[in-house]
Amino acid sequence: MGWLSSLLENMSPMKLCVPGDKLCSVEDCIPGTGVYLRHGYIYSSLAGYVLRKNEGEELPVISVVRETEAQLLPDVGAIVTCKVTSINPRFAKVHILYVGSTPLKDRFRGTIRKEDVRATEKDKVETYKSFRPGDIVLAKVISLGDVQSNYLLTTAENELGVVVAHSEAGAQMVPISWCEMQCPLTHAKEFRKVARVQPEYLDA
Amino acid sequence: MPTDTKRVRGPEVSQSPSLVTSKPAAALPSSGPRADGRQRDQVDVRPVFVRCGLVSQAKGSAYIEAGNTKLMSCVYGPRETERKDETDMKCGRLTTDMRFAPFSCPERGSWIQGSQDRDFSLMLYESLQPAVCLHKYPRSQIEVSVMVLENGGSVLAHAVTCASLALADAGIEMYDLVLGCSVRQDGASYVVDPTYAEESGGSCGGSSEDAGGVTVAFLPSLNQISGLQSDGEMAGETLTAGVRTCIEGCYKLYPVIQQALLKAVRKAAPPPSES
Amino acid sequence: MATVQVSEAEKVYILHGIRDDLRVDGRGCEDYRHMEIETDVVSNTDGSAKVSLGHTAVLVGIKAEIGKPRPMVPNEGYLEFFVDCSANATPEFEGRGGEELGTELSNTLYKVFNNKQSLDLRALCISAGEHCWVLYVDVLLLQCDGNLYDAISIAIKAALFNTKIPRVHISSDEEGGKEIELSDDPYDCMRLQVESVPCIVTLCKVGHRHVVDATLQEKACSVASLIISVTHKGTVTCTRKVGGGSLDPESIFEMIEAGKRVGKALHAPLMKLLQQEESLGKKRQKVGFLG
Repeated sequence: MGWLSSLLENMSPMKLCVPGDKLCSVEDCIPGTGVYLRHGYIYSSLAGYVLRKNEGEELPVISVVRETEAQLLPDVGAIVTCKVTSINPRFAKVHILYVGSTPLKDRFRGTIRKEDVRATEKDKVETYKSFRPGDIVLAKVISLGDVQSNYLLTTAENELGVVVAHSEAGAQMVPISWCEMQCPLTHAKEFRKVARVQPEYLDA
Repeated sequence: MPTDTKRVRGPEVSQSPSLVTSKPAAALPSSGPRADGRQRDQVDVRPVFVRCGLVSQAKGSAYIEAGNTKLMSCVYGPRETERKDETDMKCGRLTTDMRFAPFSCPERGSWIQGSQDRDFSLMLYESLQPAVCLHKYPRSQIEVSVMVLENGGSVLAHAVTCASLALADAGIEMYDLVLGCSVRQDGASYVVDPTYAEESGGSCGGSSEDAGGVTVAFLPSLNQISGLQSDGEMAGETLTAGVRTCIEGCYKLYPVIQQALLKAVRKAAPPPSES
Repeated sequence: MATVQVSEAEKVYILHGIRDDLRVDGRGCEDYRHMEIETDVVSNTDGSAKVSLGHTAVLVGIKAEIGKPRPMVPNEGYLEFFVDCSANATPEFEGRGGEELGTELSNTLYKVFNNKQSLDLRALCISAGEHCWVLYVDVLLLQCDGNLYDAISIAIKAALFNTKIPRVHISSDEEGGKEIELSDDPYDCMRLQVESVPCIVTLCKVGHRHVVDATLQEKACSVASLIISVTHKGTVTCTRKVGGGSLDPESIFEMIEAGKRVGKALHAPLMKLLQQEESLGKKRQKVGFLG
C-alpha cells in the first residue's frame, strides 16, 4: 500500500491510477470524466492518466483519461454521423457510425421518423424524398428510445441532414439547394434533406 | 453403421483411470507445510502472474496464472443489447460467461456449459456487477467471458480478479477493482488459496467439524464484499475468520494487480500532452 | 425472478419501518411469516411435503431409485435436486424464463448438502460400489411471494422426514452373484435421520439493518441479501451473497450471527411439529392444496 500513498502525495499531472483510487477531495477539484464522487472525495473509475486542467474556474477539473476516447455512447443531444440502411414511408433506419468525431466500435441502430426529418411542414415530409439507403446523414439524438425502438434521431435543423449521397449513376452528388442534389455525370436531380454543413462538423 | 457382433465392445461410459488408481484424498497431510511449500494458517497466497491485453480483438482482456491455475478473460462491448425485453433503459447490462476447457480438470469435461459452469457464471456476475458503473452505459451490454485453461484450485476467486482486470483494461468505468480470494478450512487449520488437490482432498480426508471452503470477492478501496460463497460445514466463528482471512489475502494481491494494470496503461499509450 | 415495482415513497416507508424494527405487516426484523407445513401430500412419492410461507407455496416430492454409487464415494448414496420454476408461479417463468432461477436454486441446494453432517449418505448405500439409493428431490414452486430459499429448505427437510425407503436385502447365491430382494411387507421401511438437515435463512439487507423472510416489496428495497444454511447445532453449511449490491464486511459478520441465531431457533419447533403430525397417523386431518 506504500505505493498507493506515494501516489496520493505527489499528484503531479501525469500520475497513473486504477479504478477505486482516491484522487482528491471535492474541495480541491471539480470532477471531470472517468471519476466519481463518494463521501466528499473524488475517486477514479478508470485505469489511466490523472489529468488536471484549469478551465478558468476557481478549481481545476480533474479527470482520468486513457489513450483512446474510450467508451462513447450516443447520448441525448449528441450529433451523430450515420448511414441510412433502409427506408419506408414512416421512418428511415440508420446505423450510427460516429458520435461527434469519435468512431463507435460497435454497431448501434437508430431511427429517423418522418416527422423528425425537418422542422417545417412536417406533415408533407416524404421519407423517399429525404433519404436513400447508403446516404451519410448528420443527425441529433433526441431520445434513447424505449423498449421496442432504437435511438431516435432528428434532422430538423439546417445543419443536419444528408451530407454525402450517391446518384443512381453512382457518382457522388453535389447539393444544389436544401432539398435537392445533382449528379455531376447525368445532371439528374434527386431529392434529399440536405445539410448545410458547418465548418466545425467537416472533420467529423 | 452395422455393429460388429463378434467384437467385444467397450462399456458405454468410461472413466479416467486416475480416479481409480490414485487416492489423493488420503495422501494429503493435515499438518505441516503444504505440498507446494507454503505455510498453513497463514495468508500465504500463491504468487500470481497477471498481464492485460493478450487478445487484440477484445476491448479488454487479461490473463492470470497462480500456481497451476491458469485462466483468461475477455471483455466486449458496450454494444447494443440483444435482449430488448428486459432491458432497464437507464442501466446497462452485464453478462458473464465462465467456461472450463474440457482438459482443464483431471476428468475431461464437455464443451457444453454445464450447470456447474452456469453457477460459476452467476457468481461471477454477482461479484462484478456492484463494481461496474452500469448507469453510464444505458441501452447497452458489456460482455465478460472467462475461460479456465487449467484448474489448479481457487478458480472462482482468480476468475473474479481476472475479469475485473479485463474490465478495467477495456476502459469500462468501475467504482473499484474486484479481487477474489478463497480459503479452505480443514479441521483446526486453514489453507489460503488452495490448490486443486487441497480443494478436493479436504472434503474426504478429515472427519472433523470444520471442513469447507469460502470464496470472497472484495472491493479493496471501498471495503465492500461483493461476493461471498461457502460450502462444507463450519461454525459461525470459523466462517467469520475465513472471510477475514480472504480479505487479507485480497489486500496481498492488490499491489500486483494494480501494477499489472498500470503497466498495460503505460504500454497502450504515452502520457497525454498537457493542454 | 418474480419482482414487484415499488415507488420511492413506498421504499422510504418500508425503510423507515425496518429501521424502527417494525415491518409493514407488523413483524419484527427477525420474525417469519405464518408458516404451514403438511407432509405426505402426494401418494406416488416416497416422501413429500408442502410448505406455505405467507403467499409463497412450495411442494417437494422425493422419489428413491436404485442407482450406481459415484466412483469417488463407493459406500454412499446421493441426492439429486431439481427445482422447477413453472409458469404456475408467475408468468415470467414461462418457457425458459424460469430456467435461470431453477439452476441457481438447485445449485445452491447441492452446496447446502455438500457435507457429511446434514444427511447420512452411507445409510443410502445398498452394496458398496454397486448399488445405492438415489434420492431425487424435486421442488415445485406453486406460488412466489419472496423468500423461496427458506421455504424450499424447510419443505425439503419435511419431505426427507416423511420419506420412507423400502427395505432391501442383498442375497448372494453360491456362484457369488448378488441379488436385491425387496421386503414383502410394504410397511417395512427405512427412515432417514433428518435431525441435522440444514435450514436456509435468507437475510435481506434493507437500509442499515437486515430482515428475515422478506416479502417481495421488502426485497425490492434491498440491494443484496445473504443466504445462510444452518443445522440444528448452529453449524453453517453454506453461505452465499445474492443480488446486485455489495455488503461491507462488518454487516456480513452481523448477518452470519443473526442467521445462525434464527436458523438454530427454527429447527426445534419444526422437528416437534413434524413428529406431532406423524404421531397423529390416520387421524390426521388432510388439508391439501386449498387449505
